[in-house]
Amino acid sequence: MITNSEAAGTMEVPAVELRGLTKAFGRVVACDDVSLTLRRGHVHGILGENGAGKSTLMKILIGLVLPDGGSIEVDGRPVSIHDPQAAAALGIGMVHQHFSLVDALSVWENVALGEAGALHPAAVRDRIGEIGEHYGLAIDPDARVGDLTAGLRQRVEIIKCLRRDPSIVIFDEPTSVLTPDESAQLFESFRDVVAAEGRAVVLVSHKLDEVMAATDHVTIMRQGRVVDHLITADTDVATLARGMVGRDVSLRSERAALGMVDVPAGEAHATSAVANADVGRPPVLELCNVTARGPRGSTLLSDLSLRVGAGEIVGVAGVEGNGQRPLGDLLSSLVPVSSGEVLVDGDHVSSRRPGAMAAAGIAVIPEDRHDSGVVLDMTVAENLVMVRPGDVADRGVISPARLEQRAHDLIEQFGIQCAGPDAPLWTLSGGNQQRVVLARELSHTPRVLVAAQPTRGLDVGAIEYMTDQLRAAAEAGVGVLLISSELEEILDLSDRIVVMSNGSIVGEMERRNVDLDRLGLLMGGAAA
Amino acid sequence: MNARHREWVALYAGSVACALLLSALLVEATGGSWRPVLDALVDGSFRGPGRWGQTLGAAAPMLLVALGTIVSARAGLVNIGQEGQLLIGVAFAVFFGFRIGGPGPVNIVVVLIAGAVGGAIWAGVAGLLRFWRGVPEVLSTLLLVTVAGQAVAFRLKHQSLLLAPEANRGNRNQVSEQLAENSRLPNLHVFGNDVPSAAFIAVGFAVVVAFAISRTVWGFRLRMLGRNPRAARRAGVSERQYGMMALIIGGAFAGLAGAVMLAGGGFQFGNFRLVPGFSASIGWTGLLVALVAREKALAAIPVAVVFGALRTGSGFVGSTGVEGRITDVIQGLLVLALLVPPALMFVRDRRRARAASAVRT
Amino acid sequence: MGFFDAVWDIFSSDSTYLNGALFAGLLLFAASGEWIAERAGTINISVEAMLLAGAFTGAVGFDITDSIVLAMVTGALGGMVVAGVQAEMSHRLAADQFVVGLTLNILVLGLAGFLDREIEPAAKSAAVFDVPLLSDLPLIGQALFGQRWPFYLLYLLIPLSWWLMFRTRWGLEVRASGEDPQSADVSGIDVNRRRRQAIYYTGLTSGLGGAFLVFVQIGDFNESIVGGRGFIAIAAVIFGGWTLRGTVAGCILFAGALSFRLSIQGLGYEINSELLQALPFLVTIFAMAIFAKRVRPPVALARPFVRGLK
Repeated sequence: MITNSEAAGTMEVPAVELRGLTKAFGRVVACDDVSLTLRRGHVHGILGENGAGKSTLMKILIGLVLPDGGSIEVDGRPVSIHDPQAAAALGIGMVHQHFSLVDALSVWENVALGEAGALHPAAVRDRIGEIGEHYGLAIDPDARVGDLTAGLRQRVEIIKCLRRDPSIVIFDEPTSVLTPDESAQLFESFRDVVAAEGRAVVLVSHKLDEVMAATDHVTIMRQGRVVDHLITADTDVATLARGMVGRDVSLRSERAALGMVDVPAGEAHATSAVANADVGRPPVLELCNVTARGPRGSTLLSDLSLRVGAGEIVGVAGVEGNGQRPLGDLLSSLVPVSSGEVLVDGDHVSSRRPGAMAAAGIAVIPEDRHDSGVVLDMTVAENLVMVRPGDVADRGVISPARLEQRAHDLIEQFGIQCAGPDAPLWTLSGGNQQRVVLARELSHTPRVLVAAQPTRGLDVGAIEYMTDQLRAAAEAGVGVLLISSELEEILDLSDRIVVMSNGSIVGEMERRNVDLDRLGLLMGGAAA
Repeated sequence: MNARHREWVALYAGSVACALLLSALLVEATGGSWRPVLDALVDGSFRGPGRWGQTLGAAAPMLLVALGTIVSARAGLVNIGQEGQLLIGVAFAVFFGFRIGGPGPVNIVVVLIAGAVGGAIWAGVAGLLRFWRGVPEVLSTLLLVTVAGQAVAFRLKHQSLLLAPEANRGNRNQVSEQLAENSRLPNLHVFGNDVPSAAFIAVGFAVVVAFAISRTVWGFRLRMLGRNPRAARRAGVSERQYGMMALIIGGAFAGLAGAVMLAGGGFQFGNFRLVPGFSASIGWTGLLVALVAREKALAAIPVAVVFGALRTGSGFVGSTGVEGRITDVIQGLLVLALLVPPALMFVRDRRRARAASAVRT
Repeated sequence: MGFFDAVWDIFSSDSTYLNGALFAGLLLFAASGEWIAERAGTINISVEAMLLAGAFTGAVGFDITDSIVLAMVTGALGGMVVAGVQAEMSHRLAADQFVVGLTLNILVLGLAGFLDREIEPAAKSAAVFDVPLLSDLPLIGQALFGQRWPFYLLYLLIPLSWWLMFRTRWGLEVRASGEDPQSADVSGIDVNRRRRQAIYYTGLTSGLGGAFLVFVQIGDFNESIVGGRGFIAIAAVIFGGWTLRGTVAGCILFAGALSFRLSIQGLGYEINSELLQALPFLVTIFAMAIFAKRVRPPVALARPFVRGLK
């Protein structure tokens, strides 16, 4: 192992020097003695699976989390970063993974948000124009952010960061809202920013291919510790993967999660025995020309048609923000259709009656489980029977014994770690909350399983568990609709891939005949 | 867990002590002294002959109002118009109680049901506004309190509605007829106290509400709606249906409270007549009972007794030379003090939970 | 016809406008602050208590200092004390804002009743100040420019509220806190602090409003002086769709309903007095029933913000 500074091979003062940073939350150590050197003119990758401590480390750097121990030096001077303003003053800026933008405000107001001093609208607008011109990030400063596409919103986010002229720019998982082309462009601009202006750029990512393509140096983190500092050019994907997971990576789902799927098509897909050319498979879920509108008359879904057969996994690929969320909401009885219809097993299902979708046999693992998947203030047991409390009741009276029995069974069967059936759900970790959702939804022997971004925020082990469950469900004859912005996940799991753009399905292909160029174009809305 | 328990007890004791200390300071600062005030409070509420029966009589309608509030609150609705719902309930009870008639015991039932229906209708108006017109129920229920007060005052001026015929009014000009003796809720004599049967009715309902909320599918779905409306909708809970029902039940309990005040309140509340100022802020106090009981029906029982005691005690405070309104102040400070510990614990728990899950994001 | 005569009499009488301006004045004091608090994400049911506290401390301040200027200051402070309890309890401790507000209303009512009888502060009306020329305008001249002097504070306060909200960084951060506290937090804004400050501002304007009630409208203090008009001020903000212009329009509309009662009686017409008493509240309810669905509230209105929790 070589240290980062040796790797850089220069004696100049580093932009940022972290020494022995430690942060614990209760008994969990998120960052354990982390040391790191960032240099001007370089792109530095920080690689690690979810939960490896990358985010905590970055939050320390931008003042959202205070470290328990260790020191930070910026340009050779020791500093303490107690809030985001202090970070900004030191020239540290971050482009957030989950946007820090306020929909109701205009672009310029968002860009000005979080700064100090008097407000000068004209100056902010001018600066947005300058930055836009300089980096090729043109945008209308008076547009309402809520009206922008995900790609443009990220542009605003980048401008918001660059406006303060940071000498250190952190990008936190930036590609989830971008098409492959846009991602490539973004990585180009890393180079421009770095080479032309001598800034230090940090790319936080859990995707190996991104890190290989875009960085000069890599730091690998695992379980809160730095495992290795490497020069990107001198390493390879297998080494990175081994460092990140701590063992050789062979499982297919893991490889997919790490962005290591052998993308070229042709090989027979290994999902399930029935994966091949059986056109006669009966459809369990059909959406026919579905249009749905938001409360303000905006179009959420537009003339969308889709079919999922029994035992089939259909992947919905697309850039985030193109109607995936409304699609999940529609199938959760949360958004009514304004025209078109939804059929389960050929029978019409009302989209206006609460609970009709669930009653018809549509199970959902929602994109944001806190939104409609669980009730945080109720117990684990109650969350496990939430959709059909009648199952554990006689004449409308819940039997505590049966409730507890059901909970015990599911907790055991799905390996949910909790203090017991009566623990409030909010005491569980994110991964275990997700298991509660999965357990409940599968316990009702559904006809259709909608999984929206099912592995987001999970660590590698949990991802494997989740993908296994999805495959098992399909093998049991459930029609699985996988909505994901991770293309690798879709390629890995699906029998058939449909592409979503602007609220409708713009293309479809069998996994066996997948054409990546066409897929990318469709995702960008080119063929819409 | 034990340390946590101790922490809770200490927090509650501390904040209640603060509230009482502040009240005592206020009494002292305005030239009174706290000891006689405390003595008067205890005499008036429990120690004096026949006083704890009175206290239970005041606590009963408060408890009923609180039960209704708890049902609405569990559905995530902020119904704060109980005072108005109670008044409309009494008005209905009087109106139908004197028109339908029937033998005494039947008439008692008529009075109670009419009261509940009146309150339910008034809360239902707020429900319609909320679920069909998008008017926040916080405001509509509140504004309807004033409207209810004026509506009842108006009806008390007209003989065709509520006003008693001239011969039965005595020397007052805005009272309803007096409820016949056989149409009143009886008192039970226990240890030299007259305990209104309304107290038993209220406790019975508290048990029913507690059971319905915690053990029935209906209550389960109601709680779900209150905690996460979107998860509830996905699971088949109609916000309109359950929300309307919760508001209507809330209003019905307030109306019922009004009816038991009429039929069993005696001298404490208008002496079996509807008079101006009949509601005597029982609606507001019942609402506070529900808040302090943290939306738990059984916990509302002791809280209602404490608030009832403050009310019956306040009548005795005047004799000490300190203004009787001090009990309103004590009550308000107590409520504020009781809000502090759970809010404090909530913030701390969430902070810990966030810390524990922060590693995973 | 009697009815149309009555309406004509009302609309052509100076006193209608004078009364209307007084009622609107009280609502505007409260609403110009409440508007900001709601844009920050809080519905202050306790505006009622802030008005009452302002009125009482204003009267006490006058009783002690014999100066209406200082009494306005003590009134503002009284409103801010109530605001302090609301702000710290709902946005530092995360107690439910409605519960806190409601409790404050009851507590302050009890406190004002108790202390009023113990202290019995004496108050009087402030001096009338006629703005030259403008006060001679027909109908509205006296109403807008011939008032007792604290009325003119409104001409500063309303533009101040607008300026704070749309021309200062503070206002931008307040709006962000009410729309999307999570994003605001990530951007480095102390959401709960901004919300507390917005409530303190409401306390300031409402405290002044309470003093206005004593020294301009009534000339004395009693505990029923506010009588639910704080709630109407809240309704005006909602009616106005959370815009300042709409809020001002709402205050004027509701004040019209309030003053209609006085005018019609003053002119000798007999109309059922209970209906008239209830009229402003009914108008408010109807107005909200018509308009509530057409407006877009701040997304995080009435939702507490605890970091890491939606």
